[in-house]
Amino acid sequence: MKRILSFFALSLFLFTMSACDSTEPDDPHAGEEELITRVVLTLTGGGQTVTATADDPDGDGVGIQTETIVLQNGVTYTGSIALFNDLADEPEEENVTAEIEDEDDEHQFFYTVGGSVQNGVTVTITDQDGNGLPVGLDYTVAVANGSTGTGTLNVVLSHYDDGPKNGTDRSDETDIDVTFPLTVQ
Amino acid sequence: MQAHIKGSSVRNGAMWLLVLLGFWRPTAAQHITGEVRVAEGGVLPGVNVVVPGLERGAVTDADGRYLLERLPLGAHTVAFRFIGYVTETRTVVVQADTTVTLDITLQPATLQTDEVVITGAGGHTAMLNRATLSVSTLEARDLDALRGQTLGETLEQLPGVTTLSTGPSIAKPVIRGLHSQRLVVLNAGVPQEGQQWGGEHAPEIDPFAPARIEVVKGAAGVEYGVGAIGGAIRVEPRELPTQAGLGGRLMLNGFSNSRQGAGSVLLEGGSRQVPGFGWRVQGTARKAGDAHTRDYVIGNSAFEEFDANIAAGYHTERFGVDAYYSHFGTELGLYRGAHIGNVDDLLRAIERGEPLVDYDFSFTIDPPKQTIAHDLITLRSHYDFATRDRLELQFGYQRNKRQEFDAHRRFGEPDEDPAFALTLTTQTLEAKLRMAPRGHFFGVAGVSGMNQANRNTESGYLIPNFRALTGGTFARGTWISGPWTAEAGARVDWRWLEAFPRENLSRGDFVRRTHNYASFSGVIGGIWRFASAWSVAANLGSAWRPPGVNELYNFGVHHGTAQFETGDPRLGGERSLNADVTLRHATNRATLETSVYNNHIDGFIYLFPTQEEVVTIRGSFPAFQYQQNDVVLRGLDGSASYRLTSWFTAGLRGSVVRATNLDIDTPLIFMPADRATVSGQVAFPDWGRLHLAALEVEGVFIRKQTRVPTGVDYAEPPDGYALLNLSYHAELHLDNLPLTFSLGVQNLLNTRYRDYLSRFRYFIDDPGRNVVLRLQVPFGTVAR
Repeated sequence: MKRILSFFALSLFLFTMSACDSTEPDDPHAGEEELITRVVLTLTGGGQTVTATADDPDGDGVGIQTETIVLQNGVTYTGSIALFNDLADEPEEENVTAEIEDEDDEHQFFYTVGGSVQNGVTVTITDQDGNGLPVGLDYTVAVANGSTGTGTLNVVLSHYDDGPKNGTDRSDETDIDVTFPLTVQ
Repeated sequence: MQAHIKGSSVRNGAMWLLVLLGFWRPTAAQHITGEVRVAEGGVLPGVNVVVPGLERGAVTDADGRYLLERLPLGAHTVAFRFIGYVTETRTVVVQADTTVTLDITLQPATLQTDEVVITGAGGHTAMLNRATLSVSTLEARDLDALRGQTLGETLEQLPGVTTLSTGPSIAKPVIRGLHSQRLVVLNAGVPQEGQQWGGEHAPEIDPFAPARIEVVKGAAGVEYGVGAIGGAIRVEPRELPTQAGLGGRLMLNGFSNSRQGAGSVLLEGGSRQVPGFGWRVQGTARKAGDAHTRDYVIGNSAFEEFDANIAAGYHTERFGVDAYYSHFGTELGLYRGAHIGNVDDLLRAIERGEPLVDYDFSFTIDPPKQTIAHDLITLRSHYDFATRDRLELQFGYQRNKRQEFDAHRRFGEPDEDPAFALTLTTQTLEAKLRMAPRGHFFGVAGVSGMNQANRNTESGYLIPNFRALTGGTFARGTWISGPWTAEAGARVDWRWLEAFPRENLSRGDFVRRTHNYASFSGVIGGIWRFASAWSVAANLGSAWRPPGVNELYNFGVHHGTAQFETGDPRLGGERSLNADVTLRHATNRATLETSVYNNHIDGFIYLFPTQEEVVTIRGSFPAFQYQQNDVVLRGLDGSASYRLTSWFTAGLRGSVVRATNLDIDTPLIFMPADRATVSGQVAFPDWGRLHLAALEVEGVFIRKQTRVPTGVDYAEPPDGYALLNLSYHAELHLDNLPLTFSLGVQNLLNTRYRDYLSRFRYFIDDPGRNVVLRLQVPFGTVAR
C-alpha cells in the first residue's frame, strides 16, 4: 500500500509539474501567413498615369476593395503590376513583386479583358523570363479608337511548381485572381 | 540449420521450392493436454485454453480436460481464461512428436473479471460473452498478417471499419461513418492525443508495436470518456515477460508498389536476480517511395518512419508497476498535384482527371509534406487489497509535434520553414478501483483528469493556442448469472477551455476566450446466451463531446479542398444515443458476429455550405460554416466464417451505413459506401518443416455511394469497384526457429479505382497492384 501511495504521489507531482506552462500567445505577429494583401496596377500613357488597387487589408476573408480602372480610348498604356503584403512582419517581406522577379520562371500573369470593351482593349505581355516565356510584370494595354464602354480586367498570377510553365496554360496553383472593373471613356 | 546452408545450392533450392509449395514430407504431430481445476476444489469445464501467439484454442470438457492438437515446435504461451477466475499463462516447450501435459489450478478472480468482459479474448465462450456492445478484435496472429501497413489500413479488416485516406501514406480509421474527434484511440491505456481534428492526420502509432487491437463500435462514453461518440480503438502493446529469459523477434516487410521496406526488431527479457522484473525494447523503420496507380506514379507520395518503444515492469503478488515510453516519428510527402490555389484550379484538376505531369518514381520527400513526432510516456501501477479489490493508477504524458510544409514559401525555404507547426502537450491521470466479485456482481469506479495545451510556433497559424482541463468520474457494474449478463454505468465529465483566437476570428489582436462544458454519459446493456453456441447482446449507450477548437475558431482556406471554413464560437456539444444489438455464434466450425445499430446524434457539428462565395485576392472560394443539426446513423455490419471441410474455410464480412441529417432531410456527406468482402481459405496439412500453410483468396466489393447531399461536392462520387487479393502464408520450422512468412498480392488484377473516402479522388486513382512479402523470426525463449 505504501508503494502505491508513493506512486500516486509521484504521478500527481508529475501531473502538476508539467501543467504550469502558459499557452497565451506571446508574439503579436505569431502565425501570420504569407499573403498578398494588395495588388496595384500602374498604367502610363497619353500623358497621364492611371493606378488601380485591389486591397484586402486584413487578409483572407472579408472586405476586399477593388478600384475601377479608367482608360481613354485610342491610347496605348505601358503597364506594370506590384504586389504587397501589408501584414508582413519584416519590412523587406512587404514587397512581393521582388520575389516574383527572382522566380520569374515559376510565375506568369494572365490578363483577360471582359465585358463590352472586350474587343477594343488588348493586353500584351512585354517581359520574358530566362527561358523566353512571358512573365507579365510589364505589359502594354492598347485601347482602340472609339471603343468606349465598361467591362472587367481579370488578373491571374499562376505559380508553376508541379507542372512546368509553358507560356500559355495556367497552373493549378493560383497566387492571385482579381477582377478590376474597367471603364473606357 | 548450418547443414542446410552448407548443402548444395541446387538441392537447397529444390527443398525451398517444395517447402514453399507446402509439399514436404510429413512428420508426426505434437500436442498439449491437461486438466483445469479450481482452487476451491473440483474441475472446471468451459475454460478457454488459448495459445495467443498462434490464435489456436480449445475449451475444457465436462471433466475439465483440454487438448491442443498438432502444435508447431517451439516455445508456446498457453493462457487459461474463465470468467470469475484469474487468467493463468504458462509457457511450455514442445518437442517433436511429444505430448506435453500441463495441468493448471485457477484462482478465483479478484479483479481481472471486468477486463475479461470488456476485453474480448480468444475462444468461443469469450466471444459469446465478449461485450454488450459490438466489439471486433485483431489478435497477434491477425496483426502479424497485416504488419507494415498503417493502423487505418490494418483496422479496415474489421467489419464496420473503413478508412479516410489522403494518398497512400495517410489512412484514418472510420468506425460506422464516424472518425477524428468522434473516436477515442487508447494507446497503452492512455487516450492518444494528436491533432485529430484534421482529416489528413492519421493516428501516430507504430504498426509493429501492438499485440492486440480492439475496436469498440458505438457510443462508449462511460469507459472512454469525452469523445467516444462513434466508438473507441484500444491498442495494446505486448505484455512484458514475467519469468527469466531473453528473447525477441525480427519482422521484415517488403511492398512492391511503393518499393517500401519495413522492419522491426524487438528484444525482451526477464530477470533471474529480480523475479517479477521484465523489460522490452523495440525499434521500427519504414521507408517507402512514390506509390503507383495502374497508369502513373503518384508524385511525392514517399514517406519514412522511425519508431521506438521501451517498456519495463515489476510485479509481485499484490503490487505491479509498468513504465512505457514510445516515440513515433514520420515524414510524409503529399501528392503535389493536390496542392491547388483556388476553386477554379480545383475544378480544372478534376476536369483533367489525371496528373498534369508524368512523375518519375522517387524516394525523395519534397514539400508539400508533414513531419510528425509523437512521444508518449505511461506509468501504470496496481495494488491488490486483502479483500482482493484492486486499485489502479495511471499517468500519461504525451507530446505531439506536427509540422506541415507548403509547396512553396515566399522569402523562405519550403523545406525548412513549415507553413504551420503545432505542439500539443497532454497529461492524463486516472485512478480506478476495481471491486472483486461479490456474489454475482462486480464493478469498477474511477476518476480521471486531463490537462492539454496547444501552441503554435512562430510560423503559421491554423487553430488557436488553447488550454483544456477535463475531469470526470464514473462507475460501472456487471452482474453475471448463468446465461445472463447485465451491465450499467454512468459517467460525468466537465471541460474548461481557454482559447486565444484573433478577434472576430479574422486578423486582429489575440483575445482570450473561455468555455465551460459539462455533461454525462451512460450505458445499460445485457447478454443472453440463449443456446450453448449462441448469444445475443443489446446495448443502449450515450456519449458526448464538446466542440473542438477548430470547430469553434477555424477561419481560412482548407488546402486541398479549396473550402473557406469558418468556425462558430457559440457551438454547443454533441450528444449521441446509440442502440446496438449483436448476435454472436461460435463453434469449432462456424463463427458469426453481426450487429444492427441506430446512432442518433443531437447537435452533430459539420461544415454547411453557405450561399455566398468568399472573395479574396487569390480568387473566390466556396464558403462553409460549422453548424449543428440532429443526425442519425443506422447500419448493419458483421462477419462470419464457416469451415466447410477440414481444409477449406469460407468467410464473409460487410457493412452498410445510412446517415441522414434529420433537420434538412438529406444524406450526410462523406459516408462510407456499402461493402462486402468474400474470402476462401485453403489450409494445407503440415509437411515436414512447413506448418499452418494456407492460401487465401479475397474479393472486395464496394458499391458506388449514391446517398450524398446535392450541390455540395465538386465531383460525383466515383463508381463502385471490386478488388481481388491473394495471399499465401506458412510457418517454416528451422530447428527451433519457427519462421513465419507470407506472400500476398493486393489488387491482383491491377484494377483502376477511386474510393469515395479517398481525399485525393478528385485528382488521382488509388494505388494499383502491390506484392507484399512478410517475414517474422522469433528468437530466444521468453516466458510471459
